[in-house]
Amino acid sequence: MFQSIAKKFLTFMLFFLILSFVSFCLLKLVPGDPVRSILRVDDVAVSNQQIADMRSQLGLDQPLPVQYGKWLVQLLQLDFGQSYLTHRPVLTEFIEKLPYTLLLTGGSLFIMLLIALPLGTLSALYRNHWIDSASRVFALIGSSIPSFWLGLLFIEWFAVKLRILPSMGDGTIFHLVLPSLTLGLAMAAVYVRMIRASLIESSGQDFIKAAQARGISPVRIFFRHMFRHSLVPLITVFSESIGSLLGGTVVIEVLFAYPGLGKWIVDAIAARDYPIIQGYTIFMAVFIICLNILVELSYRWVNPEIALKEKRLS
Amino acid sequence: MFKRSYFKLCIPAVMAVMMTACASSPSTTSTSSTAPQDKSVTLLFNVQSPSIDPHTDINYTAVRAGVNETLIKVNKDLKLEAWLAEKWDSKDGRHWTFSIRPGVKFHSGKAVDAAAVKASLERALKLNPSVKNALHIRDIHAEGKTLSITTDKPFPEFVSELVHPNTAIMDTTATGDFPSGTGPFQVASFRAGSELNLERNEHYWNGEVKLKHAKFMFNEDANARQLAFQAKTADIVYRPPIESLELLKADSTVKIDSLPSLRTHQLIYNMNNHDLKKTAVRKAFDHLINRDEIASGIMSGQGTPAQGPFLPDFPFSPEYITKKFDLNAAREGFKEAGYTVQNGKITNPDGSPLHFTLLTYQSRAELPLISQLIQANAKELGITIDIRQVDNIDEYLAAHQDWDLATYSNITAPRGDASYFLNAAYMPEGALNYGRVHIPELERMITQLNTTVNEEQRNKLALKAVTLIDQENLQSFLVHPNNVVAYRNYVHNWVTSQSEYYLLTQDLDVN
Repeated sequence: MFQSIAKKFLTFMLFFLILSFVSFCLLKLVPGDPVRSILRVDDVAVSNQQIADMRSQLGLDQPLPVQYGKWLVQLLQLDFGQSYLTHRPVLTEFIEKLPYTLLLTGGSLFIMLLIALPLGTLSALYRNHWIDSASRVFALIGSSIPSFWLGLLFIEWFAVKLRILPSMGDGTIFHLVLPSLTLGLAMAAVYVRMIRASLIESSGQDFIKAAQARGISPVRIFFRHMFRHSLVPLITVFSESIGSLLGGTVVIEVLFAYPGLGKWIVDAIAARDYPIIQGYTIFMAVFIICLNILVELSYRWVNPEIALKEKRLS
Repeated sequence: MFKRSYFKLCIPAVMAVMMTACASSPSTTSTSSTAPQDKSVTLLFNVQSPSIDPHTDINYTAVRAGVNETLIKVNKDLKLEAWLAEKWDSKDGRHWTFSIRPGVKFHSGKAVDAAAVKASLERALKLNPSVKNALHIRDIHAEGKTLSITTDKPFPEFVSELVHPNTAIMDTTATGDFPSGTGPFQVASFRAGSELNLERNEHYWNGEVKLKHAKFMFNEDANARQLAFQAKTADIVYRPPIESLELLKADSTVKIDSLPSLRTHQLIYNMNNHDLKKTAVRKAFDHLINRDEIASGIMSGQGTPAQGPFLPDFPFSPEYITKKFDLNAAREGFKEAGYTVQNGKITNPDGSPLHFTLLTYQSRAELPLISQLIQANAKELGITIDIRQVDNIDEYLAAHQDWDLATYSNITAPRGDASYFLNAAYMPEGALNYGRVHIPELERMITQLNTTVNEEQRNKLALKAVTLIDQENLQSFLVHPNNVVAYRNYVHNWVTSQSEYYLLTQDLDVN
């Protein structure tokens, strides 16, 4: 196992280098110039010479490999640079935004699980029953509704009409409810179908039939065998959902004025704030890689057969 | 039996979802005042602020929220007014002397003197390249209440540049988490991109501050802002969606303020185009623009037809002959410019049709619609206009020349002075001279303006330059979009600042 982790770490370092270089190059190839934003040409009289001077001062006129090399050296000293616009360290800004995004991610996944697990399970267990039909209708509607529209509806119902939840901002658990509900519902629609399919597939396995024949209680069969067996594909998709939620849910963040990472990175892209964009890419790469490692480890827990197979192969 | 047991398992989970959704919130109380001594107001602004640092924040929140103040301000008549500087003087436009207002203290309790102002300006120059470019300061000298500044060149508009909110004065020695300013409010808490909570400055130098608390919130989605206003999360909402104005007007507890902003939507002509470099063609083309339709139709009445780059209230705005949408006048104009008119359609002298490429962009939703209107009007005369939408108009215009016309929008006199726009848009080196305008006579006027100190003379020179711009029809100025603000009728003394720099003031009150 340790060997496997060490191998993964080396792969990670190689992947990290390739990713950082490719993202750095792509960023520079995209048309756009941060200098116009830094100098606020729409606010302050600036000459083209001043723009050229600023570009040179930031080293943006240097060859791409030189720019990348400097950035990499800086990164090896754990210096992610400063935002061109706010002049604050990228790391500080990221650390400020991260808890909000983690909370929103957690809240959304919590809502999703609360809805999708029971609905998906019931739908699988009561196949072709009205419960199954209802959950399929929910899944269809849920996946068709645009989340910004759903968000506006929730604001209208819960904040304007009922006045029981805040429509925007952050700070209390109540501020999380509407954005989490908006995101969670949209995701739940997808997961209901997936859980249903996965459980149906598991229920047809021989070991389930054998357990039933042995007279094991249905609840035990469900949790110890059927549910556990269904978890592998679900965990994979679940990790992807976590990744995309951490990556940013810009529309929801804008709608609920929620200060997460999504809005932060979109603003940075619009202003071509390179240090933030590049820093964010690295943070996210690390996150996603760590997440994938965790997911792989969880496979072993969920299905020990995977670990055994690896052992046999090695 | 088997199935019923699963069903029971799911009931608590479903109940939990419903309870979560229906949880009551303690934070949705109305923000209007409850007791006279505890008055508060909440303003919902349309742009998020990532920082509260007055020197680097691109949203100018510290000044807008009444936390920090500048040496000079621009008043509601769009004229310069003393603020933290009581008076100022310069004989040559290069050596400036400011008298710092006595009796002013920072929120930290420290007295504001010339040394404190010097330290603050130096911090702004160090942190913000935009401020450094705008101010051209060579050195600053402080003595008591007298601040002496030398610019690196004769710079008569220096005073108006000190209106820029990023030059706001703060106590650089204060060690708290938030900037210590001199304004009517001090920061209680700030959450980047979300909200700023403020408390009354009990020792405000300019007298009593009416509100005890104020909240400055941000939301970039217009519909969400309107809903927040309806939910009474906010008492004042900046730029509600135009389509909701009728709904808001129907509410007797809501007041709406709508007045022309300092922004001007414009049509840029590319002077490298064979046709558009001719004044007569540009003048003829201008007749294809239906400004009234743009203001009343496309902008739902929330815009004022523009005759020139600046609002007519400015002393450097000439008396314009109102520009009219007139297809016949356009036809005549093209004919006089040497083009052929056949069956009411314009063609080149060789009989080929006229064809232009017009650039527009989505971030100002009305600009693509304006482009389509111009395209339709031009079609009446047989002129083909291809509309192309670009992602970042500034970058595209600066880097490419494959366009003939472009819609654009900017604040033309952000600090009450014409020189910013004239220098940026008409000087050969100007960063906004996208149309490659090169009129030596105009450049001479702007150069002279740049070395003239006397305000009256400056206004005269700017007026001459703007008149020439109009005569040459260097750009077509389309419309000044309105600033729209909605607020509850219990809010008093709200003033919609045309500069948009001052929102929460000491006079703002609720009953």
